[in-house]
Amino acid sequence: MAHDPNRYLPLTPIAFEILLSLAEGETHGYGILLDIVGRSGGRLRPHPGTLYRAIARLVEEGLLEELDERPDPEQGDERRRYYGLTRLGRAAGAAEAARLDAQLNAARVRRLFQPRTS
Amino acid sequence: MNVESRSGAGIPSSRGYRVLLRLYPRVFRERYGAEMTRLFCADWRRRGVSGRVALAWATLWDAVWNGLGERMAHRRRTRRAREFPGKRAGPQKRRGEWSMEGVWRDVRFALRLFARAPGFAAIAVFTIGLGIGANTAIFTVVRAVLLRPLPYAQPDRLVMVWSDLVRRNIPHFPLSPPDLKDMREQTTSFTALEGVVTFAQALTGDGGEPEQVQLGGVTPGFLGMLGVRAELGRAFTEDDALPPADAAAPGAGPPIMVLLSDALWRRRYGGDPDVVGRGVELGGGPAIVVGVLPPGFRLYAPEAANLTTAIDAWVALRIDYATADRNTGFLRVIGRLAPGVTLARALEDLNGVVGRLDQQNERMHTAGRRMRVVPLRDDITVHVRPTVLALLGAVGFVLLIACANVSNLLLVRGAAREREMAVRAALGGGGLRIAQQVFVESLLLAGAGALLGTALAAGGVRLLLALQPANLPRIETVAVDGPVFVYTAAAAMLAALIFGTLPALHASRADLARALKDRGRASGARAQAMLHGSVVVLEVALSLVLLIGAGLMLRSFAVLRDVQPGFEPQNLLTFELGLPFGRYPAPVDRATFSRLLRERLEAESGIQSATAAMPLPLTSVANHGPYGREEALGQPDQLKQADLRIVLPEYFATMRTAVIAGRTLSAADESDSAAVVVVDRVLAEKTWPGESAVGKRMLIRLFTPEPIFVDVVGVVDHQRNGTLAAEGRETVYFPGRFAGSWNNMHWAVRTTGDPLRAVGAVRAVLAELDPLLPISRVQPMTEYVDGAMAPTRFALILIGIFGLTALLLASIGLYGVLAYAVRQRTAEIGLRMAFGARGTSILRMVVTEGLRLAFIGVVLGLAAALALTRVLGTLLVGVQPTDATTYAAVAALFLAIAALACYVPAWRATRVDPLVALRAE
Repeated sequence: MAHDPNRYLPLTPIAFEILLSLAEGETHGYGILLDIVGRSGGRLRPHPGTLYRAIARLVEEGLLEELDERPDPEQGDERRRYYGLTRLGRAAGAAEAARLDAQLNAARVRRLFQPRTS
Repeated sequence: MNVESRSGAGIPSSRGYRVLLRLYPRVFRERYGAEMTRLFCADWRRRGVSGRVALAWATLWDAVWNGLGERMAHRRRTRRAREFPGKRAGPQKRRGEWSMEGVWRDVRFALRLFARAPGFAAIAVFTIGLGIGANTAIFTVVRAVLLRPLPYAQPDRLVMVWSDLVRRNIPHFPLSPPDLKDMREQTTSFTALEGVVTFAQALTGDGGEPEQVQLGGVTPGFLGMLGVRAELGRAFTEDDALPPADAAAPGAGPPIMVLLSDALWRRRYGGDPDVVGRGVELGGGPAIVVGVLPPGFRLYAPEAANLTTAIDAWVALRIDYATADRNTGFLRVIGRLAPGVTLARALEDLNGVVGRLDQQNERMHTAGRRMRVVPLRDDITVHVRPTVLALLGAVGFVLLIACANVSNLLLVRGAAREREMAVRAALGGGGLRIAQQVFVESLLLAGAGALLGTALAAGGVRLLLALQPANLPRIETVAVDGPVFVYTAAAAMLAALIFGTLPALHASRADLARALKDRGRASGARAQAMLHGSVVVLEVALSLVLLIGAGLMLRSFAVLRDVQPGFEPQNLLTFELGLPFGRYPAPVDRATFSRLLRERLEAESGIQSATAAMPLPLTSVANHGPYGREEALGQPDQLKQADLRIVLPEYFATMRTAVIAGRTLSAADESDSAAVVVVDRVLAEKTWPGESAVGKRMLIRLFTPEPIFVDVVGVVDHQRNGTLAAEGRETVYFPGRFAGSWNNMHWAVRTTGDPLRAVGAVRAVLAELDPLLPISRVQPMTEYVDGAMAPTRFALILIGIFGLTALLLASIGLYGVLAYAVRQRTAEIGLRMAFGARGTSILRMVVTEGLRLAFIGVVLGLAAALALTRVLGTLLVGVQPTDATTYAAVAALFLAIAALACYVPAWRATRVDPLVALRAE
């Protein structure tokens, strides 16, 4: 493999949040923000500067790709830049999730963390 | 939602955000700026006011942190791209990421640094502390006076209802009871419309010493509208305000119902709860105490309402709305807006009613009556807002100047530490890490400055209160407390941001190779000198603006001090005396007493003459009424408005007001049929230009519903009445007896020496004539004159202090930069001297350099002052905000002090030993 996704670990929290948001499908910056806010129940609301710096970094590193600019059908007729995961990005996200999973497992085993049973 | 609003183009906040975007590198900004703005605006729109403040603050830091961080990263990347072309960007080592551990390391490092350079740290902390202290002190005033809601129920729904007689140029005309009643019944915009009037009367009949008390006479719903309840007893009811059966006999009707203020209750009745229900006498008439008000309650009213705010007791006015004269206004009206009603709607409602009323009232109609509805809080502070905002601007400037000074200090130190920084950068300390280090230093300095500033502010507030700014409403609620601390902390962080940004940026750019190559000298000496220079120019400009403001205030104060008020305030003792209606029921009784008192006083040694007036100049605002020439009879549109003052014989002689023509009022005029008046110069020139006013008949309305004729017997000089600062309205003087011999008169006694020495004699004479008479406000006339100058003095002292602080800081800044420049150029100067340059030419070189900076600053400052001193407008007396003399004098003074600040480093430059200097190189 040309790029080992493990080289990118650990991802910064904001980078992982962005990858998580895009895992569901491509969207624009505002969509990513809304998704992060929604998933965190409003506890996380990254500032524009933080968000776009992280996006810029991920694009540069090849984890995200910039798609075309087009209007969001739900957000009116204004054109917005869309982003999507690259294969590398998907792999890096998965690797980060696996890494976190291993940590969570350890936390569970050592009773640091009681998983919610639902 | 349309595109325009979503992209945020129409929102002012988006413009502010775009300014912040400039902190990011251009490439980044062009690519992401628009989307970021959109995100910010979306967030902005869904927040309330406090949320927006928090967002603005957080966004500022977001932009500083990420913008500068991105700049740093950007530069690193472009360099790497240059060095390793064609290499694809892989995962990057994240540098300069925020970690608490890193911050602690920086804090420890900074503290060690300050410990090693305590002088530097002390100067920086003191400078910032001065700036923050001044800001905190003034902010406490802003908060107490302008920001705090009034201590009433739902205060933002309370409005002042004004009427202005537009065509007679009389603003703030009081309302009459019938007008108030009609407005209440015919409008729907108010849940309450209540009237208030304040006056003084003697309180007796309760076994205590007779005392002149300040009363607030109100319609029965007034206190309830403000949301105040009786602490003891009960509030007023409608029955308390029923009119007496026989209005013609004052004192004979039903008793007046009284609510005591907490202060009077404790002072006079020792806090005895049994006082409720007791009978007392007010102005000699029967009254009953129905309750006591809570301790915190105070009346706050606009200055233009001429209400006394220190009220001892409240009484329910017994007004007979059926018989009251519609043209005799004496009530100030406050209203409570009904839910959902806007000011505009309420105004429309009122003007509708008044328009209908005035159609049937020719006098009001021709006077051009218009209503105004103003939020109570705005109106209470309207006269002080220029002072307070000018002060806020002044301290803002002081803080900016302090920041500029500290910024320069840090830059100078940064230059000295350049090699350290460069080595750190080379060893892998990223630019951002170094910038963070400098920011942490800045924050620590600002934090220490904030602590010092808070202490200074606590002292400053005491100083402020000692200056007795009597015209600042609610100044007594000033406190250094929670919200003030928040403000101080915010000011400190902002200051750190302002003075830390430049040095941080500068430090993060340190370049190892250049720094080492340049050896002892700082890199880019020229660019750096430019940087320091521009900071100093800014300082000079800012402090010049402040000094010009102070200069203009000084001129105003001088003008005010030299004003000829139209009388001689020296050696004049004044006091107020109220004759109770109960014991002096008829006008003739009161006139007889006044004559007796005058004769007995004048018999005392040390007293030349005694007189009384209602009111004396500068003590309170006179009543005013319409007047006109004989021909104006039946033509109310020809009437003008004059101050009406009632005077006893010898008034003009006692006040030493010049008689211009005719005679003054004498004891012979003290009969109730003598319809004679004296007018002042202003009225005579206005009414009979080019003619003598003496012997003319004029039309005037005093107490009768319709105007009557009076004869002018004399013309006197104009007295400044309501204020010293402006000439004021024309005045008509009536004999006391003709005006009905008022029961409250303000006495003036002309003494041969210190007026306070006559106090004993006055009290003795009064005790002999009537021991039950309360006398109040015993003070020399000069105190009223001082009081009239107090607002100007207050603004002058504060703006003066801030201006001098600014001057001091700017001089230090100038000195510091020049001293540094001289040190930087030691080698060059040494070389010049080795080649024969003389001391004087070196001196001239350095001083010229400093003065060049000062001069640019002065020119910029003059331009800024032209634009900014306009805010002083209403504070200035007899001087224009663009007064050329003041500008020239201040600029010259400033340049002289700048020359002094330049001279010391210049002199030091001439002491450079060429040998030492060259060896150092």
